[in-house]
Amino acid sequence: MATSVASKRLFHEYRTLTTDPPDGITAGPLSEDDLFTWEALISGPADTPFEGGIFPATLVFPKDYPLAPPTMRFTCDIWHPNVYPNGAVCISILHPPGDDPMMYEKASERWSPIQSVEKILISVMSMLAEPNDESPANVDAARMWRERRDEYERIVRDGVRKGLGL
Amino acid sequence: MSNGEIPATTLNIPQLLLVLVLGFLAVRWYLSGPPSSASSSRSSSRTPRIDYARVDQVAQMFPQADRRAIIWDMQRNGGNVAATTERILSRGLDVPPPSFQPPLPPQATPSGGAGARANAKTPAHPDLITRYNLSSKITPTGSSPLVDSGSDTSTPASTPSKPSWSTNKTERALQLQRRREEMILEARRKLEEKERAKTAVDKGKGKA
Repeated sequence: MATSVASKRLFHEYRTLTTDPPDGITAGPLSEDDLFTWEALISGPADTPFEGGIFPATLVFPKDYPLAPPTMRFTCDIWHPNVYPNGAVCISILHPPGDDPMMYEKASERWSPIQSVEKILISVMSMLAEPNDESPANVDAARMWRERRDEYERIVRDGVRKGLGL
Repeated sequence: MSNGEIPATTLNIPQLLLVLVLGFLAVRWYLSGPPSSASSSRSSSRTPRIDYARVDQVAQMFPQADRRAIIWDMQRNGGNVAATTERILSRGLDVPPPSFQPPLPPQATPSGGAGARANAKTPAHPDLITRYNLSSKITPTGSSPLVDSGSDTSTPASTPSKPSWSTNKTERALQLQRRREEMILEARRKLEEKERAKTAVDKGKGKA
């Protein structure tokens, strides 16, 4: 029962994202036979070192979506304070409410069923532009972002070129 | 006379039957004993059984994850695909101890090449061109975007700019694939142009 609710909702979101796609985002299930695994392409926001890049990510939805948030993981090399070295994305919208003992994040920023895949992807896009320094997932990247911005931007730009096979 | 009958009655027919039945059961027990004990010891061998179908399932979802790490994780959580998936996504798998050498499944031999390559520290993520097999669709540098969009319409009746929702499942999958490819190729083209412009500027600076 819960699974069919989740499937319906995901199918609906897929449809919305196809007919009215936000700028710089392409997302959909890997196969419609399994609506719980999606692949998304996010383009790097303008006026950032990520500009021009395309960043692929996998989203895996729980069976009780939209009650619980999906997990998202970049499937490319990405150098960012809020992305774990294994690609997992650490962002408040992907955290269920009541899960943050440190209370870094406001409840309104966290996951709730009124959020959507589109909102997640847009949030991730703005996260690329503005890293959140408070709880870094990649400590080395965070330190470099703070202390050696030039080097950070150079690594990011290199990643953009490599990702596009240049 | 009566004395002579006593030895005969010490072994009467019911007793004889009882001995036969007990003997039969003893033989049965002896014969069936060894195989059953062997099978039970096999199933309760110390290393838990690994379901390679499940390992494959996870490995296909996350080609970059180390197979040994997947087996290690699944062995510890009792073969739970969802839990392993969750762990890969949330914080990555633990590195198994070097002593952990899972037996390789027999059906993995055809894909042994891929497994060996994954182990051999190649870059974890191929670029998007390789990944989506787009090398044939890259237009040579210097071609105008007009020509490119013309060659893009290899599939007829596609209006790239106008998103539509097909009622056909396979058509939808194709549309999504096409949008993905367009996005990647477009980004690559723009970046190439930008770099060409930049090198031109640099050259100009050099001359000046």
